[in-house]
Amino acid sequence: MNDELNGCHKSDSEPAASHAPVPVWIFALMLVLLFLGAVYFDYHSGWFDKQVYAPYPSANELALYQPKSGAAAMAAHGKAVYETVCGICHGADGLGKPGQAPPLAGSEWVARDVLSLARVPLSGLNGTIQVKGQQWNLSMAPMGAGLSDADLAAVLSYIRTSWGNNYGAVSADELKATRAAISGNVPSAAELAKMTPVERGHAVFQKYGCFQCHGENAKGGVGNPNAKTAELVPSLIYVADGYTKAELVAFISRGERNIPKMNPAGPEPPRFMPHWGGLIATNELSDLADFLFSLKPKGEDVGF
Amino acid sequence: MKTKIALFLPAAAALALFAAGITRAADDPPIDAETKARIDKFEQGPATVDVSKYPQGIQDNYDTFSQKCTQCHKLSRPINSDYASPDEWSRYVKRMMHKPGSGIDATDGKKIYEFLVYDSSVRKKAMLDDKLSKLSATDKAAEDAKVKEVHDKYDNK
Repeated sequence: MNDELNGCHKSDSEPAASHAPVPVWIFALMLVLLFLGAVYFDYHSGWFDKQVYAPYPSANELALYQPKSGAAAMAAHGKAVYETVCGICHGADGLGKPGQAPPLAGSEWVARDVLSLARVPLSGLNGTIQVKGQQWNLSMAPMGAGLSDADLAAVLSYIRTSWGNNYGAVSADELKATRAAISGNVPSAAELAKMTPVERGHAVFQKYGCFQCHGENAKGGVGNPNAKTAELVPSLIYVADGYTKAELVAFISRGERNIPKMNPAGPEPPRFMPHWGGLIATNELSDLADFLFSLKPKGEDVGF
Repeated sequence: MKTKIALFLPAAAALALFAAGITRAADDPPIDAETKARIDKFEQGPATVDVSKYPQGIQDNYDTFSQKCTQCHKLSRPINSDYASPDEWSRYVKRMMHKPGSGIDATDGKKIYEFLVYDSSVRKKAMLDDKLSKLSATDKAAEDAKVKEVHDKYDNK
């Protein structure tokens, strides 16, 4: 009865909204729950790990695996390979970088026949050359030796038809012929099968032109102006002391782009360790490490 | 109010997904950045070791270590690094020693190695014990012997 009376009494009081406002803490709770939900979702989705969803270090590399057909696909593929392998030194614009690599745009080297051009990425290039009236004295490792004929053809076609160059595409067959023409010293598969890992590793060392920077049999002595390492590319004869095989293979795969400078105000040292992962095959890397480990001078012991 | 909730929910969901993704993505950089982050972390730690309680010989070796290693990198890098075992230090010191122009000969290299092994066995004892406990019995014995060798050479002298 009292309630009824109270009810009657209340009807005269302030009008109230028909829906009570949602308390703020509900929003906070919802945010927390959503966050936890999202963490749960991410956790069960492998954290969106690139190893699960996209095992490629860059969009360029992913582009390498796209369907290969048609001229446009080939051009896109060539561009992707160029930017991953060549562009680091020659520049994405093909204009080269002072002290690192000469330009490819408008270069007379690009205008030459396919054999002469393909020799450079396949065998590397050392010493003084003239490009567009300017002298360059650098060293390029055979960065193309580990690429397939199709990849190399695509990248050379891209170079020959970009940045104002207009010398026509290169076919994979031409690359195959070029590779055959210059591979007189490369052991055949049958020969490789008979070799020890150390011997195969030496062939790998030669094939990828490691000697161009690290010297014959990795003994060092090759200059690298303004590098903190006494302006020299390091010798590799003591790597057995400093690395486990796994560490060495990881280092070769990763490379080292930033070479500390001797004079911090001076120019960038021209030579650096390229990123060889994906260019030198896994079994070759293993043999290469065995070869490098075998170079340690016998009988030397530093006592620790 | 209903419209507000309708707007709020997707926005909050997007924000939460983004935040959860970011917390993970932030520690998943490319490999070079990974190494850099690792080194940066070491370098942010203390740049000196209190060697006042170490034997005199190890204190002398600390001087060699401070002088040689700072030619190329901060001393805080090795001091706070996650290397602790004699095998790790032996490899790391040799790797540095063989860099052209390091100015570290075999005598200095050994002094640096001995300091690092001694220091790790005191200051990083927990880390060292943890690392050694994961080795095979033979490897652990070899590592223990190397630590003991350094202690026998310098302790109480």
